[in-house]
Amino acid sequence: MVSLPQRMRKLQEKLLSIRLGSGALLLPKEVTRINLQFAAKIDGGHMGPRKFWRNELVRLKYHNPAVSMSVDRTAKAEDPATMSIHFSSLESAEESAAAEKVIKIDMKHRNNSEILEELIKATKAREAEPTEEDREEKRVLEEQKVASLAASKLSQEVRARVKREKELLEQARGDMGSQPA
Amino acid sequence: MAAPARYCPSCLSATSTSSLLLRRAAPTSVPAPFLTASRIQPQRQGQLRTAVQSQNAAKYKRKDTPGTQKKKKASTNYDTPDLSKALRFSLVDAMRYLRAAEVGRSPTSSKYELHIRLKTPRSGAVVRNRLRLPHPIKTDLRICVIAAPDSAAATAARAAGASLVGDDAVIEAVKAGKIDFDRCLCHQDSLEKLQKSGVARILGPRGLMPSAKTGTVVKDVAASVGEMIGASEYRERLGVVRMAIGQLAFTPEMMQRNIKVFMDGVKRDIAGMSDRIAKDVHEVVLSSTNGPGLSLNGELRSAGGSLTLKDVGGEA
Repeated sequence: MVSLPQRMRKLQEKLLSIRLGSGALLLPKEVTRINLQFAAKIDGGHMGPRKFWRNELVRLKYHNPAVSMSVDRTAKAEDPATMSIHFSSLESAEESAAAEKVIKIDMKHRNNSEILEELIKATKAREAEPTEEDREEKRVLEEQKVASLAASKLSQEVRARVKREKELLEQARGDMGSQPA
Repeated sequence: MAAPARYCPSCLSATSTSSLLLRRAAPTSVPAPFLTASRIQPQRQGQLRTAVQSQNAAKYKRKDTPGTQKKKKASTNYDTPDLSKALRFSLVDAMRYLRAAEVGRSPTSSKYELHIRLKTPRSGAVVRNRLRLPHPIKTDLRICVIAAPDSAAATAARAAGASLVGDDAVIEAVKAGKIDFDRCLCHQDSLEKLQKSGVARILGPRGLMPSAKTGTVVKDVAASVGEMIGASEYRERLGVVRMAIGQLAFTPEMMQRNIKVFMDGVKRDIAGMSDRIAKDVHEVVLSSTNGPGLSLNGELRSAGGSLTLKDVGGEA
């Protein structure tokens, strides 16, 4: 099994990427549900939605755990790729729960950042600011990355040198062996 | 001088000439400021190439043989690293991360998994058992029960959730190559019929043939079917016991109950083993089908956490 510090560093990187990055937004309370609908394959402008799901939606879900988010990938390439955002009308109490507002965003032929912009415009979501600890953690991880890169370069050189010496030795031995006694 | 000759003939010649030259040339006493770099150079080279070890190097030379040459004694136990430096999470926090990692996945395909890392010797008996979780992970296990179709046992088996019940009809279907079940049970009274029919050749290689040894020839068919449907199996592999512990839609309380039952089960298994085997739970890791593995600290929620239990639970 991999050593504990290595495992923890990898885990920290993963968790940090779930917490921070594009899509780390706090949705307003009215948003109850987000549903994405797009094709399973990227042909016909369905790549952006998939990228959005894999990157932004993960962070959105982390920061809004109570909002249910679903992805339906049964559509065909010709079908539209849409995101529907369901709002419950909190302000107007006279309206029943059935009167749910739904905003639909067309995601076809758009990349993930464009889709995110549309989402922010539609929901007026605000950015989830990284905390001081998050920043510190990120900084430390980056430092470690740089240090490990340098260390790996160094050890690569050492290994290359040792290998060369060994080959030289091998060659010399071969020469000795082939000489008549 | 024989040793360096084995390395490289060209090197050797260079070494011997330079050292010879140096020995002949008396050290010139030129004042330091006048020494140019080019004049220092040959002297330095000569020093480096002498076979005599410098005092400094001799001082720091390893007295014992290096670790790589020593015969490494393989440890008899699986690794148990010190967890004080590990990141550990409360259940709710871990679930929040995992639900984010599993966003948009089909709730039927993604599951929570629990990995129990044991402090255990590499060889010897392993933890292995089956148990029923209080909140079962729904499985669509198809169970076939071989019993006389109009007997009380058959109706009970059907009520318990067996998908296929019968004797002659089932045997005929199996002979025709139609096997649409994952487990097979047999009632005691129908065993003779089953053995005579010769389906063992078809069922045997698939591991489906009922036999008393595997506990699939039973008297109380309904109870075994019920047990089979809700039960999950677990076993220790490489010092870790893994099992699917919940659906993604489970609430933290449901997960807590499931985890508790599983942990108790494993601990009971350990306690039930012979005294010579020293096993202990080392680490508990919660993971999911596509998510990272998060070490649990045994608490339901973190101290400063603002998360309510309702937030991480319910439908995805």
